[in-house]
Amino acid sequence: MTMAPARPTGAGHEAQPRPQMPAGRMRAGAYPWAMAASITVAVCGAALSLNGVLRGWNWYWPVMTTVLVVAFTLAVLRSVRAQPLLVTAGGFLALGAVLTLTFFRSSSFLWFVPTGATVPELDRLIRRASETVLAETAPVAPNAGIVMVVCAVLGLAVILVDALSVPLGMPAASGTGLLALLVVPAMIKPQSVGVWSFVATVAGYLLILACSQWFAPGGRLQGASARSPGLLRSAMLTGAVALVATLLLPLAIPGFDRGTFPQGSRLNPWGASTGLNPMITLGSSLRTPDGSGRITYATNSPNPLYLRSVTVDNFDGDSWGPDDRTASRVPLDGRIDPGYAVLADEQVRLVTAIDAGAFTSPYLPVPYPPETIRGLGGQWTWDPATLSIKGTDTTTRRQEYLVTSAVPKLSAVLLAQSSAPVRGIPDIFTRIPGNVPDIVKNTARTVTGAAGTPYQKAMAIQKYLRSSEFTYSLQSPVQGGYDGNGLSVLADFLQQKSGYCIHYASAMAVMARLEGIPSRIAVGYAPGRLTGATVTVSGQGALPEYEADARDAHAWPELYFQGLGWVPFEPTPSRGVVPDYATEASAPSVPDSLGNNDGLIPDTAPVPAASPSATTQAVPGSGGSSTGEGAQLTPWLLGASAVLGLVLLAAAPHLVRLGTRSRRLRPKDQGLAVPLAWNEIRDLGTDYGLPAADSETPRAYSARFRAELLGEPGGMDQDAHHAVSSFTSAFEQYRYGRPGGAGAPDTGTPAEDIAAGVAAVEASLRANATLPRRLAAAWLPPSVTRRLGLLLRMPFSAAGRAIRKAVHAVASFRLVKPVQPTTGGRSGAGAADGGSRTGRG
Amino acid sequence: MEPHRRTANNAGAPNLNLAGVADSVSHLNGHRPAAMDSGSFHAAAQRILTTVNTVIDGKSDAAKLALTVLLAQGHLLVEDVPGVGKTLLAKTLARTIDCTVNRIQFTPDLLPSDVTGVSIYNQASRLFEFRPGAVFANIVIGDEINRASAKTQSALLECMEEHQVTVDGTSYKLDEPFMVVATQNPIEMEGTYPLPEAQRDRFMARISMGYPDKAAEIEMLETHQAVSPLANVSPVVTAADVAAMTATVQQVYVSEAVKEYTVSVGRATRESPLLRLGASPRSMLQLLRAAKATAALDGRDFVLPDDVRDVAESVLAHRIILDRKAAGAGESPNSVLRGILSRLPVPQAQNGQPNRAAAAGSRNR
Repeated sequence: MTMAPARPTGAGHEAQPRPQMPAGRMRAGAYPWAMAASITVAVCGAALSLNGVLRGWNWYWPVMTTVLVVAFTLAVLRSVRAQPLLVTAGGFLALGAVLTLTFFRSSSFLWFVPTGATVPELDRLIRRASETVLAETAPVAPNAGIVMVVCAVLGLAVILVDALSVPLGMPAASGTGLLALLVVPAMIKPQSVGVWSFVATVAGYLLILACSQWFAPGGRLQGASARSPGLLRSAMLTGAVALVATLLLPLAIPGFDRGTFPQGSRLNPWGASTGLNPMITLGSSLRTPDGSGRITYATNSPNPLYLRSVTVDNFDGDSWGPDDRTASRVPLDGRIDPGYAVLADEQVRLVTAIDAGAFTSPYLPVPYPPETIRGLGGQWTWDPATLSIKGTDTTTRRQEYLVTSAVPKLSAVLLAQSSAPVRGIPDIFTRIPGNVPDIVKNTARTVTGAAGTPYQKAMAIQKYLRSSEFTYSLQSPVQGGYDGNGLSVLADFLQQKSGYCIHYASAMAVMARLEGIPSRIAVGYAPGRLTGATVTVSGQGALPEYEADARDAHAWPELYFQGLGWVPFEPTPSRGVVPDYATEASAPSVPDSLGNNDGLIPDTAPVPAASPSATTQAVPGSGGSSTGEGAQLTPWLLGASAVLGLVLLAAAPHLVRLGTRSRRLRPKDQGLAVPLAWNEIRDLGTDYGLPAADSETPRAYSARFRAELLGEPGGMDQDAHHAVSSFTSAFEQYRYGRPGGAGAPDTGTPAEDIAAGVAAVEASLRANATLPRRLAAAWLPPSVTRRLGLLLRMPFSAAGRAIRKAVHAVASFRLVKPVQPTTGGRSGAGAADGGSRTGRG
Repeated sequence: MEPHRRTANNAGAPNLNLAGVADSVSHLNGHRPAAMDSGSFHAAAQRILTTVNTVIDGKSDAAKLALTVLLAQGHLLVEDVPGVGKTLLAKTLARTIDCTVNRIQFTPDLLPSDVTGVSIYNQASRLFEFRPGAVFANIVIGDEINRASAKTQSALLECMEEHQVTVDGTSYKLDEPFMVVATQNPIEMEGTYPLPEAQRDRFMARISMGYPDKAAEIEMLETHQAVSPLANVSPVVTAADVAAMTATVQQVYVSEAVKEYTVSVGRATRESPLLRLGASPRSMLQLLRAAKATAALDGRDFVLPDDVRDVAESVLAHRIILDRKAAGAGESPNSVLRGILSRLPVPQAQNGQPNRAAAAGSRNR
């Protein structure tokens, strides 16, 4: 696209001595600009895909500015042939400057230079960004914080891609940087990356590859691998075929997004309608080894409380998710009416004080059914159908509120009596989803076979699911490939008989509907544990405090009984607490004591998943696009930065070495070409395990070098032998010869010859070295690490020398004092003696 | 025993140049013969070496060193057991050059005047007339120099150092090139007068011949059966050639770095705890001159640290004196020198950074 100036232009006047040499080798020429343009295309293309993660397009301009500025800086630095490490450092500086200009202009010095006042602002923006990430669902509004973070990450991506493709000479690997950018939308956006963004990124990537093919990058001593149009054509062809295949293959091959790879659909660039499955998020939240997203609550309820955030009631389609029913929501400003009359004789009025803490979700976790809620900040609405409470402009983060709820005192008897047909319930709760798998139908029929009343049926289903046939496992759905939801997953679950709450809850809900009982799945928290502390609630006195965290994330079915309302059941074995009414006298189920949950959760490998607050927030996302975007953005950003940092760190010795070499082979002062070439030879020797001793003359080292590192002279290594000896004699001439004398033919040694010689030597060294040695020479060159080691040792060795000198001085003072000073006297006498005798000379 | 003169003819007056003696204290600063170009220099050197090598088998290193010393205008001390060809080497080298050669067999009763010459009263002219001694030759072979008395030995000193002879208050300049090749037998030290340090210091280099290897020895038995190998040697270069070659050597360039290195070698010997006496500044001068000759023989017009290293052992080993402890520990001057050279950093940094030690060292000169 922007490749017009890609052809080297300096060929005319520069490469006279060797016209066949591409000018890009000698001069930076157009190469840095072409490369920077390619990187810009690639990164900006990848940034396109963030539309949908961030709302609108306003954020794109600062992003583009950042990317352009950083790429431009890199190109400028490279075109003046700065050292690679300097180029990268310059990139960082430019990034800092442009971020300062864009976001911290008020607190900056001269617009570009951050000052002390910038730090709190930066902190504020980062906090803002992390709150956005935690609190909001995709697409988030592009506030300054999140845009700054995005700008910073994209700027870093430019630097990473540039570092990988130019100084490290691994243009192919630069795709990882781009991939890191694409992964974010791929995981977060329901429509995945998006075609245009994907195409633009791939085009940029191909341009990067092409650039590194067209121009042998600076510092890399490739042989005269001239660019061949055939190679270009085949590369283009391969790239295009791969691109088309990537776009078309997922459509043609079924099953890529099912079974073991439900996430496979995320990679579909056409953006199929599959959203990120909230159930998966729930599962990963349960698998989180540490309890974060902690909620504490204090209640006067004698029984443990389930805190319900949201319900899932539509069982159609591949993916189940909560329905917000935004249209019918009612602002929360008074009593919440469940919408049905409860015929129970007795209602227990519960008061629960909840501190949501760091838990962040638009849905408010409350005990069911809430009547009044006090102490909330912001605008909240409730859904008359499900009583789920949702913030319109706020989240649960840091909310402390007091909930009163009226729980009908239910008993098995009451429930058993409730056999009246259901009325006054929206039919979304009764609709039987289409194409229910046979196994679900059959199981429902078999299990509820003898049962007459809805209560008996429900109890039969719960008993069946809690029976010893089923095992609770967070892992087997993952291993069995049905870690999701939907009817097919349900079928798998009933076959495998192993899963976790979401499976049990949905199984019971679906089977209940099949048997005519209205049902829905509630998502929220299982009761959690006593903390041992008490909380004083006005009018209630001190109440025991409970806590629940991500590991208590739970789903359970609610079944509707005429006259009694929605009644929660607990089909999941070993989780939660089975209510009294759902406990069969004959088969005493084992109610888990509070706090016992953890022990029963199988140990899981640490899942570096989202922070729990965000995952739970993700559960009730709207429609198919409910995502854990916020949660996943942070780790991805951090991960990308960490990867970038690590890559740069790991490549630092290599970069330094390349930079040193590049400077040596293209000295600004031609007169220094020879000694620099000799230093390069010495460093090459060091890299390949033959460091030059201080006491070794150039000639001796050269002989050792040729004898030990190169092969036999005369064969393949003849060029290298020749190069080493000519470098040696040139250096001797330079260093010890008559300055400016006639016998200094080396001053005219063209840089190409030196470069070619060094290349020959290196090729020969490679050919004669073992693999580990080669790798070490490339990635951990001893010439660099030794210098670093010397640098690090310097203070210590200086101290050591000082101590030794002091000790020596003290010792010699003691020993020598009585007699004539030996050393000093002797050498002094010798000098005087010699001086007198050689006075004539 | 009388000094043996192989060529006694040139002791005559024409060379004596009585008038110019007083001012020409330094042959280095005197008028110089034109230097040779490197091609003919190399050819001449090759001729000499080839000839010497035909006579002495398997001793090309010794031959080369001898030539180096000749071109560096130094004197050579050949020290080894009897019968390994010390005198032969000296004689051969002398024969390859078309110049005057005197041989002095040193004995305890040799008098200084036998070496330097003596003024005798000419009855006819009624004047004292100087009769030059054996030292008046281009190459003087001093056999078994340690057998002469100290007095005689020291008579040689002035000749060697100053290239002139002073008799009865008059100085007579010696011809150029002038080289003393002395041999010394380290085994039979009974009844000898070992060269004092000061005198040893006047020899630029000491070499040990060493035994030839097996093949060379066999070949020697074959070729040297019938006829003296010396018989076939005829001069391959003239004295003027040698003078020109010497001039070439003097023009060899010595960089600051090499000077610095040379000085640091000397200082290292003085500072070494293994040595009782280190190398003198004069020895540094000679070391550098020998290095220049080595460089020239190698076809270079500048000196490398390698040249200094190559000749350092030969030039320095006979001047330094081991500490008693080191000697008891089995060290030899050569091994100590080798140790020093293997530790001494070679200046390779960029120009213009002489280290402080070198700067201090050069101030001493």
